[in-house]
Amino acid sequence: MQALVSQTGLALRLAFRNPMGLLYGFLFPLIFLAAFWALYRYEEVPLALHMGELLTVTVLGGACFGLATTLVSERELGVWRRYRATPTPTWVFVTAILISRYLLIAAAALLQLLVAFVVGMPVPTDPAGLFVAFTFVTIAFLSVGLVIALLADNVPAVQALGQCIFLPMLMIGGVAVRLSALPDWALHVSAFLPGRYAVAAIQSCVTGGGLGDRGFDLFALLAIGLAGFIAGVTLFRWEPSGRRERRTNLIAAVAAVSGWVLVGLLAHAQGRIAAPVTVLEDVGSVSDYVAPRVATARPDTPSDVVASSASTVASEAAPHVAAPEQGISRPEPAPAVRPAPTSWREVTPADFDQVAFDRLPSDDGLVAPVARDGQEPDLAAVDQLERVRAALPSWPPGRVADPVQRVRNLLYVAAVPDLLQMGEIERFLPAIVLERLSAEFSRDELARILFWIATHPLEGEDSAIGQLETAGLPGVSGPTRAVRGRAMLYAFKLLGRLTGQLPARPDTPAPDAAAQP
Amino acid sequence: MTEARPGEPGAAPRRQPGVGVRGLSVSYGDVVAVSGVDFQIEKGEVLGLLGPNGAGKSTIIDAITGLRAPSAGAIEICGVDLLRRPADAKRKIGLSMQTTGLPAAITPREALEAFARLYGVEARVGELEARFGLEAKSGARVATLSGGQKQRLALALAFVNDPELLVLDEPTAGLDPASRRELHGYIGGLKREGRAVLIATHDMDEAYRLCDRLIILHQGQIVAQGAPGALAARVGAAMRVEVHAGTPVQAEWLSAEPLFDHLVVDGFTVSFSTANLEAALARLMAVLSLQAVEVVSLRASRASLEDIIAELVQRPGLE
Repeated sequence: MQALVSQTGLALRLAFRNPMGLLYGFLFPLIFLAAFWALYRYEEVPLALHMGELLTVTVLGGACFGLATTLVSERELGVWRRYRATPTPTWVFVTAILISRYLLIAAAALLQLLVAFVVGMPVPTDPAGLFVAFTFVTIAFLSVGLVIALLADNVPAVQALGQCIFLPMLMIGGVAVRLSALPDWALHVSAFLPGRYAVAAIQSCVTGGGLGDRGFDLFALLAIGLAGFIAGVTLFRWEPSGRRERRTNLIAAVAAVSGWVLVGLLAHAQGRIAAPVTVLEDVGSVSDYVAPRVATARPDTPSDVVASSASTVASEAAPHVAAPEQGISRPEPAPAVRPAPTSWREVTPADFDQVAFDRLPSDDGLVAPVARDGQEPDLAAVDQLERVRAALPSWPPGRVADPVQRVRNLLYVAAVPDLLQMGEIERFLPAIVLERLSAEFSRDELARILFWIATHPLEGEDSAIGQLETAGLPGVSGPTRAVRGRAMLYAFKLLGRLTGQLPARPDTPAPDAAAQP
Repeated sequence: MTEARPGEPGAAPRRQPGVGVRGLSVSYGDVVAVSGVDFQIEKGEVLGLLGPNGAGKSTIIDAITGLRAPSAGAIEICGVDLLRRPADAKRKIGLSMQTTGLPAAITPREALEAFARLYGVEARVGELEARFGLEAKSGARVATLSGGQKQRLALALAFVNDPELLVLDEPTAGLDPASRRELHGYIGGLKREGRAVLIATHDMDEAYRLCDRLIILHQGQIVAQGAPGALAARVGAAMRVEVHAGTPVQAEWLSAEPLFDHLVVDGFTVSFSTANLEAALARLMAVLSLQAVEVVSLRASRASLEDIIAELVQRPGLE
């Protein structure tokens, strides 16, 4: 044990004396993070939606390249040969290097998360699960690194072999390119690669429902990890090159890959090949934007509504805030909470106060963008916007009898182009929709309906999403949950505009008041 | 009565078995690297392994230090069967490899501490640094050490576990003459301490100077063994002479002389091998004087390893 602790500590100290190792292990993950952050216009939620990919790339780099490069370069220097001449058993050296590498990767991942928190990323939904998922992912990829070190004769060979695994994992393994964007054949291939299971397990703990339904992902990572470790430890190479039978290399490769094959075959047998209904479109739940409020001491005040039936976009569950029980023997009346409104007609202006408009995605971001007042669209987009504006009064879904459904349908007109990232028009459509809604409803009615829709994003029906072509927009088919999420955000944003709690922004920033005469 | 520690004044060299190797064979797949090698090293004895590249020196060292499993044979290290109890046997061995075998960023202090833990012994960092002149470089990274300092560190690491058998693989390769002399002094000290020492080397001068006994390997087999002087004498071509003359030399002046083996005359230069240096030089000077040829320079050196091996391979059965 003393030797294990000593070797682990030594490996860590030496790692921190390697400037290139630090650059690659710690700075690169931060650069990736900054790149994603900038790419998504500094929005916090999209950053969280990509943490599965970001952390997987961090682990992949630290394990496949970091571990293998360290092992092979030390082996080239004769370090491992020298170790082997001591009476300390092999497992101590291998375990020490794996523990130290795990700690280094964990430190890099933690740093990445901390910086993400600093720039506003929400706290993961399941931090404990995230730790477990991260550990499984690291185990899987460390075993890959061990096998690379087993097969590579020198450091350039590590780079070549590592890239052979790294790049396919990024491109068709669900790490850099989403599974939903991959062709069918690539989905079949990705089932044999650990990348997709890594991203799914981590992402589920950052923005999803935790590890509860990620059992197969964890099993896949563990199976791949175990196969790699068994190959890596039993066929561990002490010698830098030569004097090694080709058959031994073949056995090592086959043993390591057996885990990948087993996982791929099981995934096929269990029908786990298709891209999951992606949780990456999840924009958070209603409870993220409606602040729960404790009851006040004025139970008769209509504004004492805590939270409405806040169903989440990611989950069908609709958490309600229960009113506290009132004890009849208490000398003073206990604070009471007015029940949440049961229809849009019961919504009051006090409910609007519960909305945390400041938590909504930025109007300048990628998710639910809204143009500034006076901002002009590109000339190429003007015609299309005008066609939409002209089509809306007669668009059948915008004329249904149910006022809530009517508003909901019109919100889809803004939500779908946003989801499709139609950069030229997406940010101008909310104003057109609001203009149409204002022509249909009074200000008071519209605010209450918008609040109702925003807090009940999964209610109603969504066939209007498939009829957008008649309004001059692309029709979409398939899962509609992501569209409902965007409609929820736009309902909140338009509500904020109506109530003045989310003021419109001029295209040109107002001159500094202090600078005015 | 307490026994004097090795190296202390009055400590008598011990003559007990240090290493026993019987029928050692090592193969790499179908290639036989070492075949049927037998030898012993007694405590207080320095044994040199000589041979050209590929002769099997490094393979024998690998087998004795537990780095490579033999395909046949037995190895006993100070009474411990290496193949049955490898960890116990390794505790008795100190190894100094051709390369330092250390990470570039480690310091001598850290290396000595780490290896002490790997052997499960107390780290004698200060003592070993002082003994091998490493105090000034205690906190320096290995990458910044000179060749001599690295070699001294490798030797210090070999002493971490106070070994009974020292195995030194090409200990002076790449060292400047001063470092080489220094290292020779250390190795002489080991012998006086009564440790068994096994040295693999290419350098005949080093082998003559340091070793009590030499084993010459060729193609994985022992072709000769014995004390250095006796071995050279048995081979019969112990010295190589090269003379530069002031005027051209005729080959026929010298070719009839039996003292001059492998005679080569090339204009102003004469070279030959001889087993009797004194007589050969006397005869050479007499001939050149008779022909009024002035000697500009004369150089006599020990026959190279290649010369000796060539002789041994050509004349089997010398052992």
